[in-house]
Amino acid sequence: MQRYSIFSLARRALSGHRHWKPTWRDAAPRSSYDIIIVGGGGHGLATAYYLAKVHGITNIAVVEKGWIGGGNAGRNTTIIRSNYGLDGNAPFYELSMKLWEGMEQDLNYNTMVSQRGVLNLYHSDAQRDAFVRRGNAMRLHGIDAELLDREEVRAMAPFLNFDNARFPIQGGLLQRRGGTARHDAVVWGYARAASDRGVDIIQNCEVTGFVRDARGRITGVETTRGTILAPKVGLAVAGHSSHVAAMAGLRLPIESHVLQAFVSEALKPVIPGVITFGAGHFYVSQSDKGGLVFGGDIDGYNSYAARGNLPVVQDVCEGGMAIMPMIGRARLLRSWGGVVDMSMDGSPIIDHSPIDGLYLNAGWCYGGFKATPGSGWCFAHLLATDQMHEAASAYRLDRFASGRVIDEKGQGAQPNLH
Amino acid sequence: MRIPCPYCGPRDTHEFVCRGETDTNRPDNDEAFYDYVYLRDNPIGSVREHWYHAQGCRNWLTVTRDSQTHEISEAVLAKDAAR
Amino acid sequence: MVEGAELVPMLGMGIAAVMARRGADMTHLAALLGISAMPVARALKAGSGEIIIGTGPEMWLVISPDAAPDWGESLAERLAGVASVSDQSGGYALYSLRGAKARQLLQKGAFIDLHPDAFGRGSAATTVIAHAGVILWQTEEEAPAFELALFRSFQASLEHWFTVALAAMAAAD
Repeated sequence: MQRYSIFSLARRALSGHRHWKPTWRDAAPRSSYDIIIVGGGGHGLATAYYLAKVHGITNIAVVEKGWIGGGNAGRNTTIIRSNYGLDGNAPFYELSMKLWEGMEQDLNYNTMVSQRGVLNLYHSDAQRDAFVRRGNAMRLHGIDAELLDREEVRAMAPFLNFDNARFPIQGGLLQRRGGTARHDAVVWGYARAASDRGVDIIQNCEVTGFVRDARGRITGVETTRGTILAPKVGLAVAGHSSHVAAMAGLRLPIESHVLQAFVSEALKPVIPGVITFGAGHFYVSQSDKGGLVFGGDIDGYNSYAARGNLPVVQDVCEGGMAIMPMIGRARLLRSWGGVVDMSMDGSPIIDHSPIDGLYLNAGWCYGGFKATPGSGWCFAHLLATDQMHEAASAYRLDRFASGRVIDEKGQGAQPNLH
Repeated sequence: MRIPCPYCGPRDTHEFVCRGETDTNRPDNDEAFYDYVYLRDNPIGSVREHWYHAQGCRNWLTVTRDSQTHEISEAVLAKDAAR
Repeated sequence: MVEGAELVPMLGMGIAAVMARRGADMTHLAALLGISAMPVARALKAGSGEIIIGTGPEMWLVISPDAAPDWGESLAERLAGVASVSDQSGGYALYSLRGAKARQLLQKGAFIDLHPDAFGRGSAATTVIAHAGVILWQTEEEAPAFELALFRSFQASLEHWFTVALAAMAAAD
């Protein structure tokens, strides 16, 4: 692998940038591997990378139906954070946060991890109490959390609508280590590092079925580029988990929903970090290119369309206008939708499936991006050792049957409300 | 996406709340109850769902919709569909 | 005729929600209300002056001008066994919206087709304006004139929408 550095950049610049090699190897499928990972998004590629790096397993295929990073890895709003309150979630997201913090050195790739802070606003006494509780829970897990009062928020973000008649800003819960990262670079960085360790990344290779042996074990996948065998197959296809699992006869506690996102024209730097509205469905940050990147809630109906409808566009824009009226002066440049796995408690699944040889990494709801390194780390651990990783030990598939749900929002088995 | 409400006529989804897949009847044993509450078919293609016309005639509809194209082929009152 | 549009509260009206009992005879119900047939997504005026508006399957809003305090109870007695009645006089607020630009203004708020071919005299719809649920019906072709009912606690919100929408329309002219 050609290492990237200021010197390599200077050297290539002097030769007109003509001699860069492809970042990773576009492989053709071989007939068998030790492990097949279905899904060449951030999670699948991170899994392959950590399998190779941490567990020394390199005979791996990552099969992707389109191009790597072309699904949700390319459609999210790039926020990273670990501000979770429940015991099942906090250690996992903090593991992920720590991996973000070391990612660029580890991958020798500029993933533009920017710890510019994530600020959740609160607008009532009750919400403040809930945030105090969440902040304390975070600190007990060793995660940074600061409760800001109204004036401290004003010092950080004076442009907010502090005196909104219905939802005046009382303060906020700040995680300074949260922030954003460059989503495409995360995919390319993991692909490059995994490919370098011998992982085959196979694009335009859609899984159409599973190969089973006489005992019903999964022993490989049928794809549009032929049969590929492996004793272990891991699914990392969030958005389409139900669809792929159905090929193995599984029904999952998941619904696929559409989540929309938006970006404005480029503006001068104005928003210091990530800001979320506590009384409506709106959150915003500013990309390094200057566009305001914002979004809100899922549309609320099952969809594989990767595009949403106007009521949510209106709802998000109204939320933006309520909390940050100056956004009304910015023109909307683009909006898009992604298909997300909404699980029944709003939390993910990293576990064995009930079928031997098939492993699940699913149910990431609208929060899969921040989990990318942690998900890869823990799924690699599961695939390599057949044991759940300690930090992801709550993400069991059977938690719904056993009553150990991890319902951060307390909505119950109604996925469109999480 | 507009839903052709059998009473109100075509209306924007803004007026509706989606409840999800129309399911089998409430089961009477614990094992089937897990299935009923938590598991979903979640198919690509035609789905039958319950939508509540909250900001209209306040009736539950059974809607047949394509989850990939959002095309709605049928919407009837849920009480008629259940008959 | 009003030049632009004006929104006028209608006070002192009796308002009741009426729901047919299971298996009730619609013709009988209509006769009890003094009309020939129960309206479906339409508004009808009975000889008594009562307005009957179809709001959903076998559901109606009945409005009586100058209602006596016991009007709701007497309506329940009148429809006993055929329909259930719940007095909503204190729950809903009523408005009259009229003026040459009333239709255009309403179209800025409601997500339904208000073209005269689609929504004319006698048409009724239960829908949303500025996030507040409204029951809307047209009373006159000329001017034109509409009436609408919404939950009383949304009154200020509706009036605010009207002021802002009218100002925006005037600014665009």
